[in-house]
Amino acid sequence: MNERLVLLVEDNEVNRDMLVRRLERAGHQVSTAADGDAALRAMRDLQPGVVLMDMNLPIKDGWTACAEAQADTSIAAIPIIALTAHAMEEDKHRALAAGCRDYATKPVDFPDLLAKISAHLDASR
Amino acid sequence: MRAADAVSQLRPRLSLRGRLYLFSGAILILFAINVATSLWGSLARNESSLAYQEAATAAQLTAELEQNLQTKRQQVLVLATLRETTDEPLDDVALGQARADLEIIGERLRQLGGYGGQDLEAYYRRLHDSVTALLREWQLFYDRYNSIDPLPDVESALSYSNTQQRLQELDQRQSFVALQRANAIDRTISLTDQITVVGFISSIAITLALVFAMIRSTNASLTRMKRGVERFGSGDLTYRIDEQRDSGEIGDLARTFNEMSTKLQVAIEEMNTARADADSANAAKSMFLANVSHELRTPLNAIIGYSEMLQDELGDGTDIDREQFHHDLSTIIFSGKQLLNLINDILDLSKIETGKMQVSREIFSPAGLLVQVCDALSPLLAQNKNHLSLNIDKNSMRDINSDRGKLQQIVTNLFSNACKFTKEGEITVSASMTAQSLIIAVSDTGIGMTQAQQDRVFDAFTQAEANTGLKYGGTGLGLAIVKEFCAMLGGSISLESEPGKGSIFRVTLPADPASVPASA
Repeated sequence: MNERLVLLVEDNEVNRDMLVRRLERAGHQVSTAADGDAALRAMRDLQPGVVLMDMNLPIKDGWTACAEAQADTSIAAIPIIALTAHAMEEDKHRALAAGCRDYATKPVDFPDLLAKISAHLDASR
Repeated sequence: MRAADAVSQLRPRLSLRGRLYLFSGAILILFAINVATSLWGSLARNESSLAYQEAATAAQLTAELEQNLQTKRQQVLVLATLRETTDEPLDDVALGQARADLEIIGERLRQLGGYGGQDLEAYYRRLHDSVTALLREWQLFYDRYNSIDPLPDVESALSYSNTQQRLQELDQRQSFVALQRANAIDRTISLTDQITVVGFISSIAITLALVFAMIRSTNASLTRMKRGVERFGSGDLTYRIDEQRDSGEIGDLARTFNEMSTKLQVAIEEMNTARADADSANAAKSMFLANVSHELRTPLNAIIGYSEMLQDELGDGTDIDREQFHHDLSTIIFSGKQLLNLINDILDLSKIETGKMQVSREIFSPAGLLVQVCDALSPLLAQNKNHLSLNIDKNSMRDINSDRGKLQQIVTNLFSNACKFTKEGEITVSASMTAQSLIIAVSDTGIGMTQAQQDRVFDAFTQAEANTGLKYGGTGLGLAIVKEFCAMLGGSISLESEPGKGSIFRVTLPADPASVPASA
């Protein structure tokens, strides 16, 4: 269990690179995955403290991956923060319904995102 | 189905007014029959009482005649005896009286002739002859009474008893005929009585039956109307009243109601369709808005994220990796341009949808345009290490009359798509012309598409996968715009593709819209 590890699931290279660098600058230990299946594998292998998950993912989208994570007792406790450019109110409900603990929209409000990450890391400790 | 209903379906139903007329007519006829029977009965009664009166008068006349004859015979016999014993003559008064008596007897006899008719004719004739002979004898007796001439033999009973017998026969015959006639009349009376009673009872029965039939048929018609109104009113818009079952006013009403129903049904269906159209247009607008929001946020995320990060790096006083810094700035610029393209595409689509996109035609060389576009996009080609084959059929190429800007955008969109979705592959742009058309094909050896993806690929905001935009770039609007532009230029676009093998987009445009019929 890597309680301080943040798993970033993002298929877009540019955005992934940007977020990894910013999170590391903020002092977080970051690991990445580029699709839903890889995200589930990384969650099982790495047991991160929190997951930032884009919803539009190849192979297996974020909503499906969240639902599967909920059904898997070995990773069901890991909090997932949805990170998506789908910014409508129903998109938020959809993400929470899929099992995400929290929800943040793109473009990212970085201080707000850091606060959410810290809150969930502290809670899961 | 009941027999009555079956019968009523065979003949056209009477109108309400027709039923009322028929009903009134039937009752009037029944009434007339009753009155006629009643009149016939009372006529028979009158005849009967007349017949009894006649018979009584005739009997009285007969009795009087017999009485007169008897009295006269007594007188004649007394006178005859007197004549033998005395010679005293009869005075004129007595003779006049006697003659008057004889006149009276003759008068009675004539009166009696007026009764009885043919049945009694023969009997009366015999009586008449006999009485006339008797009267003549007595007349002769009186005529000769005061003379010396011998008197007729009045004492001989033969002619008198003969007369008496005739009289008796007539009397008997009279009684018989009267009895017969009375019997016949009695039979008529009892017949008319029966007819009156039967007629009266059947009149009541028929009237009741007519009333019930009328109530039932009218009620059935009204019930059909009511059911129709209820069914239609409760939302069964296809329900119609069976208008064949009624003619006249109720049939007209049913027809009018059905016509109204049809118009209402059409109006309601049109309204529903309009509402569904408005709803789906509304839903499409919401979807469009959500898509636009999503598409705008993706490049903005990179722009804002990198800018904030560079700002942080500048602010914390550490050394700056200039190469990294330059690369990050390029990313920001690329995302900004992507955002601009996206906005332009959205504006183009919006113009197309609102009909504000104009076609401006000019004469130009499509071959030149193709070369130009391929040159301009060579950096994009190099990005994924693709190779280009430009395959222009120089023999058939000539100038065309079309919208240069739109053709340029069509080719640019198709070419950049091919570059995006192909890695280390072959991209072929070929062009040729027929007598009427320009045909441009852009093929690649890229990722290709399944049939389901091909079906949706020309819809706005649709890419083969939800994340295609982020993975390969692009807005998901390019092919929608290409398709719309092809249509605006009077041409069409087709697609062949196979997953993993690549795609071929083939555009066919009229070389000159003036030389092509509008339907082409």
